[in-house]
Amino acid sequence: MLLVALSGKAQGKECFGLFTDRDLYTSGETILLKAFTPSSVQGGILTIDLFNAKGEMITTVPLQITDHQADGFINLNDTLSSGSYLLRVFSQTSVTQTVRELYILNRFTGVSENGPSFRPDGAVEGPDFVSTEISMAGIEKNYQRRGKGHLSIHLPASLVAQAEGPLCLYVAQTVPEYHAQTLVLNHKPKFTVNAGNEGIILSGTVTDPVTAKPFKNGVITLAVPDSIPRFNYYTTGANGRFYFQLKDYHGRISLVLQGYDALSNRPLKITLDRKENLLPALPPFRNGIFPPELRKMAAKNVEAFNFGRIFKQQQITVQMAPISRTDAYPFYGVPERVIYPKLFVDLNNFEEISRELLQGIKFRDNNHLPTFQILNAQRNSYFTEQPLVLLNGVPVRNMNDIKDLGSREIDRIETSQYERYFGNLRFSGVVAIYAPKFDYEGLKESDDLMKLTLDAVQPRAIFNPAPEDQAVEPDLRMLLLWKPSVNPEPTIGVDFQTSDMRGKFKVFIGGKRKDGKLFFNEQFFEVK
Amino acid sequence: MKRKIWLLVVLLGFLTVSRVAAQEELPGVWNAPKIKGIRFLPDATYQGNPFLNDVFTAGEINLMDGTKIVDVQLKYNNYRDELIYYNADITTQILVDKISVSSFSLADERGDKHFYIKQTVTGYMPGERYLEVLSEGDVVLLVHRKVLLLTCPVYGDPGKEKSMSYQEAFNYYLYNSRKGFELIKPGKNSLLSKLDNSDQQLLLRKILRKNDLKITDEVSFLKAWNLVKSNKMVIHY
Repeated sequence: MLLVALSGKAQGKECFGLFTDRDLYTSGETILLKAFTPSSVQGGILTIDLFNAKGEMITTVPLQITDHQADGFINLNDTLSSGSYLLRVFSQTSVTQTVRELYILNRFTGVSENGPSFRPDGAVEGPDFVSTEISMAGIEKNYQRRGKGHLSIHLPASLVAQAEGPLCLYVAQTVPEYHAQTLVLNHKPKFTVNAGNEGIILSGTVTDPVTAKPFKNGVITLAVPDSIPRFNYYTTGANGRFYFQLKDYHGRISLVLQGYDALSNRPLKITLDRKENLLPALPPFRNGIFPPELRKMAAKNVEAFNFGRIFKQQQITVQMAPISRTDAYPFYGVPERVIYPKLFVDLNNFEEISRELLQGIKFRDNNHLPTFQILNAQRNSYFTEQPLVLLNGVPVRNMNDIKDLGSREIDRIETSQYERYFGNLRFSGVVAIYAPKFDYEGLKESDDLMKLTLDAVQPRAIFNPAPEDQAVEPDLRMLLLWKPSVNPEPTIGVDFQTSDMRGKFKVFIGGKRKDGKLFFNEQFFEVK
Repeated sequence: MKRKIWLLVVLLGFLTVSRVAAQEELPGVWNAPKIKGIRFLPDATYQGNPFLNDVFTAGEINLMDGTKIVDVQLKYNNYRDELIYYNADITTQILVDKISVSSFSLADERGDKHFYIKQTVTGYMPGERYLEVLSEGDVVLLVHRKVLLLTCPVYGDPGKEKSMSYQEAFNYYLYNSRKGFELIKPGKNSLLSKLDNSDQQLLLRKILRKNDLKITDEVSFLKAWNLVKSNKMVIHY
C-alpha cells in the first residue's frame, strides 16, 4: 500500500479515458481528441495538456464536459521538434490523471537518422479496459485507394444499455510498429471537490507591496476587453488569496487583472498561480530504438503532409461559440448617454471632448494631474470621488492614459451619472470609452496590473468528410472518419472513403460504461 | 513488530494529511453572483405606502443569465414598479437593474410568499413590468400591483404631505404564451365570460353556489379561479 502511494499509481480508481485519432503526427497537423471522465467528475471543464519529453508544457486545452465526456483538438505548432510527447487529461477536482503517449515528427527535419527515441517507461499501469462482444461486419482486408468502404458495427444489447453517453468512432491510419502507451497516475486536485468544476479557476495571491505580506480586503478586478466588456472582482480574505471562475468564455481571451486597497486606493501586488507549478510528475522515459519500418512510414507521412499543405485541405471546421445572454448589457448598466465624438468637429484631446460633448462630466488636465468630476443625476451635485473610467472595458486608474485621446480615436463614449453598484463595489458614475484603435497592449504592466491571454473553453470542431470532387488534387488524408459522439445503438453503420495514402488503417470504436469501465474494439485493414 | 506497525500507520497518516493539505479549500462565497443596480433614494412621504412590504424581507432573485440569488433582503415598490435590495455588507439600499431580472420572490409581513415575473406587456401602457403570478398553468393569472399617487383630502398622518396619497389600481391579466396578455376584472361576470360555453358557465355558477363563494375581492376571485382549474374548465380569451 505504501509502495503504491509513493509510486503514484492510481490502482483501483476510476480514471479518465483518452483517445486520439492517431499515434503518429507531423508538426503542423491537428490532433483530434476524445476523453471520457470518471463518474465523480460531474460536468464542467476538463483540461488536456501537451508536454514534451523534458516535461515542458507545449499547450493546454480546456474542454466542456457533456455526458461525462468531451472532445476537442490540438493544433500542433510547425516548429515542434521530433520526439515523444505526452497528452495529459485531468480536471480541477479529479484524483487521477491519464497520460497518453504520442510521437510528433518535425515537418522540416523528420526523424533524425541516429537520434535516440525516448519512450515512457511502461512501469506505470494504464486504464483497465473491459472486453466486450462488439463485432464489425463487412470490413474487408484490403481496400483500393480512393475506394468506398462500408461496415456495420454490432453492439450487444447489454452494452447498449450500459454505455454512458455517446461512443467515439474513427477510421484512421495506424502504425503497427508503434504502440502508444496510456498511463494512469494519481492527481492532486488543486481544489476540493465541493469547489465545483464549472469553469477555469484563475487564482493567485495579493500582497502588500511594502511588507510583502498577504493583504486582507484587497480588491482584485478582472476585465475582459470587448465591445460589451465583462468584469468581475474579488475581495481577499486574511490569506490574500483570490479566485475567479471563467465560465461561459470560449476561445482565446485577453484579460486584465488589477489589484488595489479598497480603503486607500493604493495599488497592491498581484501574483498569479502559475500552471507550471502544478505540473505532474511525468513517468520516467527510457531510451529506445526507432524501428526502421516506423522510420519509413514517418518519412512518408511527413512528405504527404508537406505536399498536402500546398492544397490547404482543412480536416476540421471550428464552430464559433454561441453568444451568451449574459453579454446583453455591460456590467455598468445600460448607459444613460451614448456619445459618438466622430459625428462632431475634430477635438484633439479628452479635455476638449469633455468640454464640448459630455454633459455633466468635467475632465481637466491641470499640471499633468488629470481629474474627472461627474454630476450625480440623482442628487444634482458633483460626486466627490473619481468615476469608474473604462477604456475598452479595462478600468483606467491613471487618467494620463486617456488624456490624449481625441475624437478621431474614439468610437463612442457611454456614460452613467448614477451611483452604481456591482455587488459590493460602488462606482461614482461611469465613463466607458471605446477606442477600437487604442492598443490596450499599451497599458503598462506593473505589480498591480497584469495582462494575460489564455485559452478558455475550446469551441467545437466538426470533421470535414472527404470532398466529393477531388479528381485533380491529391487526397492525402490519414484520418478517414472522425465521429466523436455516436449514439450507442445495436447496429451502427460506418461509411468512409479511402484516400491516396497506402498503408494500414484501423476502424476504432470505444466508450465508457455506466460502471466507469472503458471499452473499445478495433479492426485493421490495408489500403493498397 | 508492534512498533513497526505503529510507525507504518503514522507514516501513512502523514502521507494522507500532506495530500489533503495540497488541496485548496475555497471560501464559501468565493463565486457569489453580483447584483447590479443604482443607489435607491426614497421618494417624499405621502399618505399610504408605495411598497408591498414596509420592511425588507428575505427573498430570491432569478437573473436573466440563469443565476439564482437566494436569501437576499428585498422590498418591492408598487408605485415605481421597482425591486430594491438591501446590501448588508455595505449597508446600502440598491435599486436592482430591471433589465437583469427575470423573476423574484419575496414574503410580505404576514409571511405570504409573492412570486413576480418580468414581462413585456403590450397594448395599454406597454413596457416591461413585474407582474405577480397568482396562479400558474396553461393560462396564467397575473396581477400588476399598480399604485397611483393621487391628490386626496388634506386629512392624514401629522407630519406627512397630506395632499397626495397612494391608491391601489391593480390590473389583473390572463396570460398565455400563444395569445399574450388580456386584462380581466376580478369579478364573477368576467370569469364566466372566459368559459367555453353556457354549460360550463352553468356549472361554475353551481359550484360557486355550492361553495357559498361570492367574488368580491382578489382572494375570492382567486378561490373561484382555483375552482375553475380543479374542475378542468377550459378558459378562453
